[in-house]
Amino acid sequence: MKRLINSALLTCLFLCAVSKAEVPTFTIEIRDHLFFPSQLTIPANTKVKLIVINSDPTPEEFESYELNREKVIMGGAKAIIFVGPLVPGDYPFFGEFNPKTAQGMIRVEN
Amino acid sequence: MVDAVLLVLREVLEAALILSLLLALSSKLQLSFRWSFFALAAGLLGSWLLAHYAYEIADAMEGTGQELLNATLFCAVIISLIFINLLILPLAFKPITNIQTRSQPIVINHHQLIYGLFIIIVSFSMAREGSEVWIYLSGYTHDPDALSSALTGAAIGAGIGMSLGAITYYVFAFMPKNVFLPVFLVVITLLAGGLSMQIAKQLMQIGLLDSGAPLWDSSSLVNEHSWLGELLYALVGYDSRPAPIQGLFYLLTVAPILFACIWHKWRVRVIAHE
Repeated sequence: MKRLINSALLTCLFLCAVSKAEVPTFTIEIRDHLFFPSQLTIPANTKVKLIVINSDPTPEEFESYELNREKVIMGGAKAIIFVGPLVPGDYPFFGEFNPKTAQGMIRVEN
Repeated sequence: MVDAVLLVLREVLEAALILSLLLALSSKLQLSFRWSFFALAAGLLGSWLLAHYAYEIADAMEGTGQELLNATLFCAVIISLIFINLLILPLAFKPITNIQTRSQPIVINHHQLIYGLFIIIVSFSMAREGSEVWIYLSGYTHDPDALSSALTGAAIGAGIGMSLGAITYYVFAFMPKNVFLPVFLVVITLLAGGLSMQIAKQLMQIGLLDSGAPLWDSSSLVNEHSWLGELLYALVGYDSRPAPIQGLFYLLTVAPILFACIWHKWRVRVIAHE
């Protein structure tokens, strides 16, 4: 039993290490309260690392109900947000501090 | 200005509802309300500190500081809620006639602990939510016109949030004690469960946990953008598309409380038979 648990844990660790190593990375920039690019296409069923760079001097909050994510990014700072694995579809996101202009969408495709 | 109203309302609502619930409990157990001043002061100070050190916090632990700190604050609040639940449980399961007399000794024995837990729950919730308001407002410091508009919006949002809190307080305060205690237990159990889903969300965001396909999608039924969605989110941590791991966190939080309830009920029955 103990050996079984040990090998399960090791497999888990190995899988975690593998998944960490192969995470595709995408960058989004916030400039003048807009997202660049405002539409981003990412692969389906894959964990993805988003680097959000806030080039504005003011803070912003990256938020998405569909992606189930929210993160404050201070002015001039960058943030890392992991999303997925996701099924194909459109996942809107917005800047909670400037929702009128800061709108974007992540398109998940096979 | 409308943006500021909505943003501040969203941030204030959860802390206001929690504060109201605990004040209603204090009134039912004939406890002093003085703890709320300490809690509000600590919450205000905490929120300012979190906002002031936002850069340092965000950069800490390889950029995962914000999420790890949030998860820690959620965790402390959940543990405190579970403790409150366990302290209140014996009162809720007593026969109605005994509640009045039995409530006194239990609360007197633990009243310092209860005040401490109340302060942790309210101040930690306030600090976490309030820091976002400070950060939001800090973006307008160089533009006096926009700042005054944002401040007006913030005041209106905070006012609406506190009014909803006051309504919640009176709804609970006017309940008879034998109804209030079970309802209170159910509400704070759901609240603790909802907060535990937030911990999972924080850990998914930094890639420590995997998201997976959502357990369900009720966004067409109750959208999180809607008023009902926002209210349910503040009260029970409503999530229209929870990840499986969030469901697991929910169960792990709610299960000990349910077990304690069943155990108490069983004990009351055994004692009654003896």
